[in-house]
Amino acid sequence: MATTLMPGQKRFTPSAILADLTLLAWFVFSLFPIVWLVLLALKTDAEQTTTYFSFSPTLDNFGTVLSDRGEELTSVDFPTALLTSVLNCAGAVLVSLVVGIPAAYAAGRWRFRGSNDLMFTILSFRFAPELMVIVPLFVIYNQIGLFDTTVGMIWVLQLVTMPLVVWILRSYFQDLPEDLEHAALLDGYTRRRAFVMVALPLVRPGIAAATLLAFIFAWNNYIFPLVLSESEASTVTVAITKFLGGGGQAYYNLTAAAAVIAALPPLVLALTIQRYLVRGLSFGAVKS
Amino acid sequence: MATLDITGLSKRYGSTVGIDAVDLDIDDGEFFVLLGPSGAGKTTTLKSIAGLIEVDAGSVTIGGRDMSGVEPYERNVAMAFESYALYPQKSVLDNLASPLRSGRTGRYDDAEQRRRVDAVTGTLGISHLLDRLPKELSNGQRQRVALGRVLVRPADVYLLDEPLSHLDAKLRSAMRAELKQLGAVSQTTSVYVTHDYQEALALGDRVGVLRDGRIVQVGAPEQVWNAPADTFVAKAFGQPEITLLDAVVDDGRIHGADGAVDVAVPPGLAVTSGQRVRLGLRPRDVAVAGAGAPPDAAAVAGPDADPVAGPGAGRSAPGELRMRGRVGLVERLGRLVEVSVDVGGSTPVIVVTSAERAAGEGEPVELSVPNHQVHVFQAGASGEETPRIGSLAGATDEEDRA
Repeated sequence: MATTLMPGQKRFTPSAILADLTLLAWFVFSLFPIVWLVLLALKTDAEQTTTYFSFSPTLDNFGTVLSDRGEELTSVDFPTALLTSVLNCAGAVLVSLVVGIPAAYAAGRWRFRGSNDLMFTILSFRFAPELMVIVPLFVIYNQIGLFDTTVGMIWVLQLVTMPLVVWILRSYFQDLPEDLEHAALLDGYTRRRAFVMVALPLVRPGIAAATLLAFIFAWNNYIFPLVLSESEASTVTVAITKFLGGGGQAYYNLTAAAAVIAALPPLVLALTIQRYLVRGLSFGAVKS
Repeated sequence: MATLDITGLSKRYGSTVGIDAVDLDIDDGEFFVLLGPSGAGKTTTLKSIAGLIEVDAGSVTIGGRDMSGVEPYERNVAMAFESYALYPQKSVLDNLASPLRSGRTGRYDDAEQRRRVDAVTGTLGISHLLDRLPKELSNGQRQRVALGRVLVRPADVYLLDEPLSHLDAKLRSAMRAELKQLGAVSQTTSVYVTHDYQEALALGDRVGVLRDGRIVQVGAPEQVWNAPADTFVAKAFGQPEITLLDAVVDDGRIHGADGAVDVAVPPGLAVTSGQRVRLGLRPRDVAVAGAGAPPDAAAVAGPDADPVAGPGAGRSAPGELRMRGRVGLVERLGRLVEVSVDVGGSTPVIVVTSAERAAGEGEPVELSVPNHQVHVFQAGASGEETPRIGSLAGATDEEDRA
């Protein structure tokens, strides 16, 4: 439904129809790449380079990608890469939450010497191009033995996710009335218990949003795993590209199938935590 | 139960002053009211006592124990926040039981918790709300829950930040009457913050008036009412505000309001000849002595007076100040009417009188005020607050104050 109808409003006015058509056009336009990707994943090897919409769809590609046959073609174990990605990203998000929530709370609640500089530094991790730091990182990782390790991947991916978590949650903590924690202190709870009992449950929507965003950003990261891992810690984003073939035949249909599969974990995560993505949890706490 | 001593308490927020060298000695079990307009530093004072903000200077001593560096949760202080500060994810019951469950306010088993919560909700009339969430309550109900969270537990000091401000007028006066009767409140040292002078006078054992972060006056309600320290305190108590008439001391008499005021300087009033002063008249202290002036009014008032019985000095009987003037605006407040009387000069005298005594708009009237209710303040620029010198009762007034 494009618009909410007010009582007495006519549904089929020319402007309403025009608005719906415009929205529909935009919808098709923005969704087209995904539609094309899914169509491509359903095509056979013979049809993969055609641009027709009529073809004989097959699910074989998904089986190929997930089986030994895929590994024979690409020398990449796709299911393992998928698992590695989940581990890497979950690890990075977890580290970001454990460190980022207290950091965001401190930054949102108190002004301390250099707090703004610190926040800016954290933010700057986000706008520094990854390609700028990748070469020194590669050298360092090789020297200290983090190259192609899970710890190394988690460490570098949390560079991507931590600033997100801190900046998103800081504004949530800032929006939280300080009187609530003050009340808890006067009820006889320590600062830590006041934080856990009062502040933390009320920023749950923020934590859900930050977790999801951080996971997606980590999941989609390509440069870090491409350069800083080889096989053990290599992720799904790198694995997908292997189906394009290095010198041999390019399997566009398999690439598309791998991409569709790779899009599922973030989708599942989003559906799982979307019920926490509600605002207004603190409504009624203090008078506005 | 404890005494509460505050010495030299100061707090600045950047360049703005929160509170400035506030001193208060509050007795064990006393109900102390802090009155002041918004931004005067009332809440800052309360939060400093609770230890919720770090003060720049000064100390808070509760029950003889210096609280500097003592965490809020160790101070055994309960506070009702103006913003209610109810835990939004918890039911009313859990909100009220929260202080009993922390372990720092005493040990309470489930039955004792329930007994205390029931006692408090019964008193406050919120027993039927126990299972609700704060978002399902009206502002008045939320405020009572916030008050209940304080009263549910014993504490050395209760800090109450405008706890009645969001109740409707009827409930408010009922709660005001009840609040002091509550056992917990009557036995516990309490600091009550309000901007409502009636609450302050009705509730306070003593009242402290705050202005721009400074304590202007501390005293019993009748003290601050009868002998306000300065024009600010005088204006803070009373609605409508006290009328301030410019006057000047000359040759042993006080002249003011373009001749409407002309009285002898009473013995004992510390003014010198040539000194400019302000006379303060509370609207409810001014009586309409007679509707309409006697036929010979112009002659009595002197050659300057308006021949059509306009403004002028009336015949002042002993013990009271008389003025004659003409009624300007009349505003009905129900049984009472608020009348603005032009007595000459730039400031009309506001009178609140019973509807029967009120004259119609444009009519001449004669006003009278008992001498001890004519406050004499030092003169100052408009907007400047000036200290009180005394009243037209002179030396007898000083005896009253002692």
